Amino acid sequence: MICPFCSLLCDATDLNEIDCGLRNKSLNQLAKFRSQLDPSFNESVLDPEMELAASIELLGIAKRVLITGRIASVQTARAAVALAMKLNGTIDCAEAGHIFKNVQAIQRAGINSVSLAEARDHADLLIVIGDDSLFDACPRIPHALHGQNMSRKTVLLLGGFTDKSMKAWQAAGFQPWSISCKLESVPSALLQWSNAMAQSSQDRMTSELFTALENAKYTAVLWSAASLFVEQADLWVERLLEWIASQNETKRCAALPWTSLDGTFQQVCTWLTGFPGRIRFQDGIPSFDTYAHSYENWLAASRDLDSDSVVIAIDETVATEPFRAKMKFGLDRKFYAIELTAGSVRFPTAVAGAEVAADIFRADQTLLAHLTPSHECDESRVRPAAYWLARLAP
Amino acid sequence: MITRLVGGECIDGVSKSEVRDLYLVQDTIFSVSKDARSDAEYNLSNHIVVAGGIDLHTHIGGGKVNIARLLLPEMVRHGRSQSERTESERTEKEWKKIAPLSSPVPGTWETGRRYLEMGYTACFEPAVLPANARHAHAEMADTPWLDTGGFLLLGNDRLLLEWISKGVPQSQINDYVAWMIRAHQCCAVKVVNAGGIDAFKFNQRHLDVDEKHWYFSITPRQILQSLSHAVESLCLAHPLHVHCSNLGVAGNIASTMATIDAVEGRRLHLTHAQFHCYGTEGPHGYCSAAKVLADRVNAESNLSIDVGQMQFGQTVTLSGDTMHQFANRKLARPRKSIFQDLECQAGCGVLPFKYRQDQYVHSLLWAIGLELFLRIEDPLRVFLTTDHPNGAPFTAYPHLIHLLMSYDFRMSIFERLHADVQRTSSLASLKREYSLDEIIKMTRLGPARALGLSNRGSLSDGGLADVVVYERCQNPEHMFARPKMVFRRGNLVYRDGEFLATASKSTIVANVEIDSTMDVTLKKVWPMQYGYSSDLIRIHQDELLSEQRNIEFTSR
Repeated sequence: MICPFCSLLCDATDLNEIDCGLRNKSLNQLAKFRSQLDPSFNESVLDPEMELAASIELLGIAKRVLITGRIASVQTARAAVALAMKLNGTIDCAEAGHIFKNVQAIQRAGINSVSLAEARDHADLLIVIGDDSLFDACPRIPHALHGQNMSRKTVLLLGGFTDKSMKAWQAAGFQPWSISCKLESVPSALLQWSNAMAQSSQDRMTSELFTALENAKYTAVLWSAASLFVEQADLWVERLLEWIASQNETKRCAALPWTSLDGTFQQVCTWLTGFPGRIRFQDGIPSFDTYAHSYENWLAASRDLDSDSVVIAIDETVATEPFRAKMKFGLDRKFYAIELTAGSVRFPTAVAGAEVAADIFRADQTLLAHLTPSHECDESRVRPAAYWLARLAP
Repeated sequence: MITRLVGGECIDGVSKSEVRDLYLVQDTIFSVSKDARSDAEYNLSNHIVVAGGIDLHTHIGGGKVNIARLLLPEMVRHGRSQSERTESERTEKEWKKIAPLSSPVPGTWETGRRYLEMGYTACFEPAVLPANARHAHAEMADTPWLDTGGFLLLGNDRLLLEWISKGVPQSQINDYVAWMIRAHQCCAVKVVNAGGIDAFKFNQRHLDVDEKHWYFSITPRQILQSLSHAVESLCLAHPLHVHCSNLGVAGNIASTMATIDAVEGRRLHLTHAQFHCYGTEGPHGYCSAAKVLADRVNAESNLSIDVGQMQFGQTVTLSGDTMHQFANRKLARPRKSIFQDLECQAGCGVLPFKYRQDQYVHSLLWAIGLELFLRIEDPLRVFLTTDHPNGAPFTAYPHLIHLLMSYDFRMSIFERLHADVQRTSSLASLKREYSLDEIIKMTRLGPARALGLSNRGSLSDGGLADVVVYERCQNPEHMFARPKMVFRRGNLVYRDGEFLATASKSTIVANVEIDSTMDVTLKKVWPMQYGYSSDLIRIHQDELLSEQRNIEFTSR
């Protein structure tokens, strides 16, 4: 079985044996969703077919359409992009702001990267950058990196990690080394520590860091853009990538940028259209603009959401943070997550991978897993988001 | 549905070309109809009728293709393609000239459409990373109009390297290859720089055919021997598909010859061979060694190649050969690149690249590719590819066909090449001009046979009714740029620039049995190597099936 609740996609014969706070929380959330399927639940959609007919009519006269949300599966991403094309709409996923920190840097400078199993098997130095929120989002990253050659693996935590993170690594069998520093300073600190000058530094820590970097045969550098709270994060990533590239002149070093479940949307949108999201279709042709076609910008330009502007918001995850925007359509089952405008329509959708089969990319974007649900949902009341999206097409 | 194609010249390389009628009965070709009835008839005088084109080496799906798209948004130039323009917007001249792709690596929708617009109906992704196979299939599923298949990337997977280094029995390697092929639903095995991608992860920057991998102490020769043996034992239709060692390195003809020797007479397909045909003589330390390879292919019937012909202009190179892509990183234009070390299985390198006529090595490369085409006598063993997008986009095929069919046209470009290439290349002495029959063989029948697609590539009775009609034209570039009609499974799906219907698709998969012992073995060792179970990556047939999509099995 594969756990669908974070982009690590943990795999086990019995997932219930895995000790994971996020999984437990997500299972509770899923149970709450299931209770909402009770016919007595007063906010349920009574007649989806009628609502659907009215929605198609509304979309038919809409002049501006935005499709956004938490899209976790290949199936929903395909349907969402296809619908955006048919409606001459804009499409941008809710977590794009994080994803584009990395994407923009890569598009300027390129990247040397490594996948999860490769880092697990081969890296002898793991540099992990960020703070505890990295492990809140994917608690079992340390376990996933526990490989066969643990005796020669060093873990260096850089940034704002607390004891909580240290313990997480220790529980997975590592002896991590943590250096508390401002995230902003990490790329320049790495440059300084890998400089030959550091070797003879009077500062013992600097000298030790030089030795650790110098002795490493393969260094993997892990960070999550979602946990990267620095000014101009794309430039920060670019500087980090430059340092990694410089290391490869004489040894091996690679990035392991961690993405959330929305990485799947980015992949699918790229292969269908040539662009990783933030696109607007016109006569079937996509145009890409990281600013103009962001969902935040679209919403800012359509604050009143008049009848000409329609937002289709999708959420097929169990995430609990609400969208901070008014939406016209909600494809989800979280009666708090999407704030709908009056007279809007909500179609109850299944959670990808948990209630309906779904293909989802692991966080490193290398492995695409096929998740089959452990809890079949009642298809007469809750359908995959892709189903609704296909039905909404003109 | 019975369709009668009346009076076209049927060319397929199997039968003698002749003007005759052809019947498409449901999804099958017949030369004679059992009854005279037909639901549709098309008068095709002054047209040629051929089988759908097959591209056996084109990068159309998977991680490296997608990161190439991600890297280069600035290269996208969308305009409406010719088929999307209204009749009044088209001029005769514009219609005949093929439009460029919107980018070096367009999205799947555009890829499928543009292939069909040239008369291609089946394409094969030649480098499917096992861990990424589901992604590759998903992309290919989203590439409309085309039947697709994937070649599984082996020969740098650490599990295999470890087993070879430990000297496990060949039968175990055979079972492993069979398991990998079926688990990832692929149809052939590809090796890229055998052992070299993994060696690069250990900071080894060079690996020749008889040089040892620093960690595993095995040589590429051992890997090639083992995998070619497995491919033969499993009766895979397609021979081991090999990207040789020393990509683009001066003098690499020696390692190409050593690669051929390594398989000890077993069947072998050398891919994008033009990049592996360099000698060290010549004005800049590089010269053509195309004759050496062509002579070898002509002499040994177990060998086939695809050329990967380069065309001048901007493109992006993407390859599993991280070692050599990294070595070329400073040649990237624009100066940015992506390198990935992937999942204890392989890697990839993506470099944007601009081929220039005024650059000696680029001009030489262009000439080497054409030399290979012209020197290899049997068009059933040399295939028309540009290694899309590495040598050029696939839309270069009509132009390339023109180069092969016309000496004068070839020379008109040769005369503009770097002066040292003009002075030293033997291309001008090669007067051969391909016939239409030979072009059809190398783009249809040859690849169909090489892939074991017995129902494709010809117009024989009982064949799949994927049929293309081209209007005869003096200029082959114009003729092959745009067919008059394309039939998929007997249905007219494209006519005069208009797409008329969607088409069902097949995924081509090798028909090999999985040994249950290997299943048990991998259940045990896979989690240790990868950190997850072998079930996670195993693609079930159901995943490849839908209303519009089925599976076809091939074997030798």
